[in-house]
Amino acid sequence: MFFNYFKTALRSLMRHKLFSSINILGLAMGLAAFILIILFVRNEFSWDSHWDRAEDIYRLENTYVRVGQPDRPTPNAVEPLKQVFFDTFQEVEAIARYIDGGVTLRHDGELFSQQVHFAEPGYLDFFGVDVLKGGFDAASVKLSDLAISERTAEKYFGDAPVLGQKLTLRIGGEFRDFYVSAIIADPEVHSVVQHDFVVPFNREYFAGARWFSEDWRFAYWQTYARFAPGTDMALIRAELPAIVDRFLPKNQQGQENGRNWSMTLGLVNIGDVHLYGNGTNAKPDVLYGFTGVAFLILLIAVVNFLNLSMARTAHRAREVAVRKVLGASRRQVVQQFLGESILLAFGALLLALTMVEIALPYYNEFLSSIIEMNLLGEPAMLGALVLLGVGVGVSAGSFQATYFAMLKPHDVLYSNTASDNGTSKLRQGLVVAQFSISVALMIIAFFVHKQTEFARQLDLGFTADNLIVLSGTNNERSNEIKQRLLESPFIEAVGRSSDVPTEGSEDRLHIRPVTGGDPVMLDGLPTGPDFFKVYEIPLLAGRYLTDAGADVLRDRVEDAEYASAANIVVNEMGAKLLGFETPDAAIGQQVSADLSSSLRVDATIVGVVEDFHFDSARDVIRPGIYYIDFIRNSDMSVRIDGNNRDAAIAAIEQAWHATYPDSILRYRTMDEMVERQYQTDDQLSNILAAFTLLAVLISCMGLYGLASFTAERRTKEIGIRKVLGARLADIVGLMLWQFSKPILIANLIAWPVAFYFLNDWLNGFAYRVELGVLPFLVMGAGALLIGWLTVAGHALAVARSNPINALKHD
Amino acid sequence: MLKLHNLSKVYRTDEVETVALNSVNVEIASGEFVAIMGPSGCGKSTLLNIIGMLDSPSSGDYIFMEENVAGYNEAKLSNIRKQNIGFIFQSFNLIDELTVEENIELALLYHNIPASERRERVAHVMDKVGIAHRAKHMPSQLSGGQQQRVAVARAVVGDQAMILADEPTGNLDSAHGQEVMEMLQQLNEEGTTIVMVTHSPAHADYARRTINLFDGHVVTENLRAAE
Ligand SMILES: Nc1ncnc2c1ncn2[C@@H]1O[C@H](COP(=O)(O)OP(=O)(O)O)[C@@H](O)[C@H]1O
Ligand SMILES: [Mg+2]
Repeated sequence: MFFNYFKTALRSLMRHKLFSSINILGLAMGLAAFILIILFVRNEFSWDSHWDRAEDIYRLENTYVRVGQPDRPTPNAVEPLKQVFFDTFQEVEAIARYIDGGVTLRHDGELFSQQVHFAEPGYLDFFGVDVLKGGFDAASVKLSDLAISERTAEKYFGDAPVLGQKLTLRIGGEFRDFYVSAIIADPEVHSVVQHDFVVPFNREYFAGARWFSEDWRFAYWQTYARFAPGTDMALIRAELPAIVDRFLPKNQQGQENGRNWSMTLGLVNIGDVHLYGNGTNAKPDVLYGFTGVAFLILLIAVVNFLNLSMARTAHRAREVAVRKVLGASRRQVVQQFLGESILLAFGALLLALTMVEIALPYYNEFLSSIIEMNLLGEPAMLGALVLLGVGVGVSAGSFQATYFAMLKPHDVLYSNTASDNGTSKLRQGLVVAQFSISVALMIIAFFVHKQTEFARQLDLGFTADNLIVLSGTNNERSNEIKQRLLESPFIEAVGRSSDVPTEGSEDRLHIRPVTGGDPVMLDGLPTGPDFFKVYEIPLLAGRYLTDAGADVLRDRVEDAEYASAANIVVNEMGAKLLGFETPDAAIGQQVSADLSSSLRVDATIVGVVEDFHFDSARDVIRPGIYYIDFIRNSDMSVRIDGNNRDAAIAAIEQAWHATYPDSILRYRTMDEMVERQYQTDDQLSNILAAFTLLAVLISCMGLYGLASFTAERRTKEIGIRKVLGARLADIVGLMLWQFSKPILIANLIAWPVAFYFLNDWLNGFAYRVELGVLPFLVMGAGALLIGWLTVAGHALAVARSNPINALKHD
Repeated sequence: MLKLHNLSKVYRTDEVETVALNSVNVEIASGEFVAIMGPSGCGKSTLLNIIGMLDSPSSGDYIFMEENVAGYNEAKLSNIRKQNIGFIFQSFNLIDELTVEENIELALLYHNIPASERRERVAHVMDKVGIAHRAKHMPSQLSGGQQQRVAVARAVVGDQAMILADEPTGNLDSAHGQEVMEMLQQLNEEGTTIVMVTHSPAHADYARRTINLFDGHVVTENLRAAE
């Protein structure tokens, strides 16, 4: 019996080859897109789930808060909190801490840059990292021991023996020898704890560092706590504010204690750190958006499948009627069609999996990700896919099956025409649904692209090309390397600042406007004198700052103090906010600026510069104030000759080695930093465009199939019309109109949905494109045109056919 | 074999109510060959459908082999039908995707008959209707007469006691029509009850009795003298 079903099904498929291939291919493409998106999203959501008892491990994060200033979130926790946690919560089983840092490594006379975890004892046990060779026991480990991952060992030693080998690290300005005592497993790619290079923590290494304080001022410990199973985290979290109240020291002298600022504590499950932890640049919202798109595409594909299957029912009504007359029961008919539909869906699923396999490398490149699909290793995923196949098959098949089960054989067997089985309304509805989604996606993709381009074209107010940013120069040799750099003919200018554009500044200064009233807030940026020259920010009035005494707020000397008065520069917005009508009016004027609540400076405005972007392009330009603070110049920006880029980089390398022979050069380029800001939106835009294209394609495949079906069904009607005198144009018009209606209705549904969504999304941008009506109309017309092109072939073929043939058709 | 008592069929659509059959009383004995005649629209097909249990009466009784099946549900009817009744249609109604052989075999698939026996029986009826040399052909490769012969073979392969034929010769030229009629006659002689709707008086002559319908009523029943 099943063989018989199979045979009829297969032959019916073969007979309508085009139809069947569209049906299967459309579903396969939809499934493939769905799988690809879900793989990506799942991948993002599944970080760090591999740890033992991951559900009990939480990262402790500190966020500094200061009234009138933006919060400063850190991924770290301060030194005292470990003991406080042990004392306060009996539920805490263990805490692992490490300081994450980049150091210069020397091996065989060569210098490398190495990311290192300075870890407290017990780190490997806490995370359950496998020790493959050697030992790193908390009890016996020496300060000169190292645990490195397999891949790190291979990087430095290749195939040679590794245990006991020496690696030299430059820590605190001093080279120190370490010996590999253990080789540990490589970290998972999708993990926030990259345990490649574990060094036993030693207080001595950091003793001189300003940030290495044992109080609450600096958070530098990556701190992971493991709670007892079943701990109610809501109760623990409720306690956190009280901890800050009790333990954060207050009312002591000095500006940097808990008097003007406070802190909030956060506990983030290790599995959520990648997406929700402080300092992440992942965007969970975008992931939810993608998931939505995935389901929409799946919906389109399933609707397609349903629609085409239904169209095919008419062809097969006679077969079913005959089977029923010959004694097939309702159950047998249902079985036959459900089985057939599930089989088709599985065929499509297999095809989809093949497509995914083929597409994955390109997809990974596109997303700069490393997604794999390993179905055999993942029974859950395999099960889900099988379920998806069955689900799609059942949902598409059940309609057909019930329709046929209810079919009255004599209706079919006695009629001469293939009956329109009453599904045409439903089919039209499904086409409307498909095109609603497609048109909405088209409009959304268009505006997302437009916004991304718009943001890219936004005038940043400075020139980002040919700028190299060095770090690690904020020390006594700062001037020395600056001089060396400027000696090269390929280097045009060198400037220093505490932060560079795209990063935003951390300082907020409160200043009373000259017109009186409440103090206003300006973003402060500690710079060196050449900052504006390097970034090519035009001057509107007055002059730039110099390194002359009156311009310097704080010099780089031992125990440096802030000057009580200094010359400063503001941007145009800043000048306006301070109450000056024109830039010129601000020159020479004095304001008193609160650097913090206990530090007031008499600031004389000597220059006004044009506004420029310092934060992300998503944000507005803000009023800014710029002053010279040589202590806080951690970034050195170098403008190079763009025509001799390689020579300029070589010159930088050279200057670096001459100045800092013991460490290796690390630099970023400003255009890459600017580019990175657009990256997520760009990625979103590209993915959206690609999948929208796919959605439209699948919808069109459905429409094409339907058109071929309708053309076949209507040949007789159209034959009669022609005999009665209809012209070619009348017939083509008739056919096109039939398919225009659902697309037009789809537009009416898609427009408000797309508008609502886009308006919401665009509101997240300070500088956004407007939602014009025209693109909506154009996309709608585009969809209509695509629809027409899709069905035009069939319409023409039918219209051209000889009516005699059509009428003999039965 | 069967007996219709005061049987009526009313079709209700939104606006109109069509009385297709109006208090029809008919009795058909086992082994009879009955022709149903009458103008188009008088209810012939409706009558045949009800006899064939493809449709249910609106009122009245239908006694089939001592059982009143008038109120039976679809599943029950389907079960009785597949044991006892074979169908032949004007438009053949063969499945395009199946070969001649497979089309005939289809009638046995719903009967739980082992494959070897199925093959035997199919071969046997194909011989009987003279279509064996076309066993592997698709319906579209056959002439109308050949297709109808396949349909006849399909109707009898399950050893059905009764064959219902609705204008079986309506789509055939006279030579092929004749052929089919002779086949039916032979089946009747072998004991099969045959009820046939036809417009052709010549073909009606093959039957021993003719029921004339007009506007849903049985107007006359002519019994042809046994020859
Ligand atoms: N499914 C139906 N719905 C409504 N009316 C029907 C239906 N089938 C048949 N009729 C009507 O019942 C009457 C008898 O039809 P039918 O039995 O097909 O006649 P015949 O076969 O003698 O030409 C006709 O008037 C026809 O229009
Ligand atoms: Mg009729």
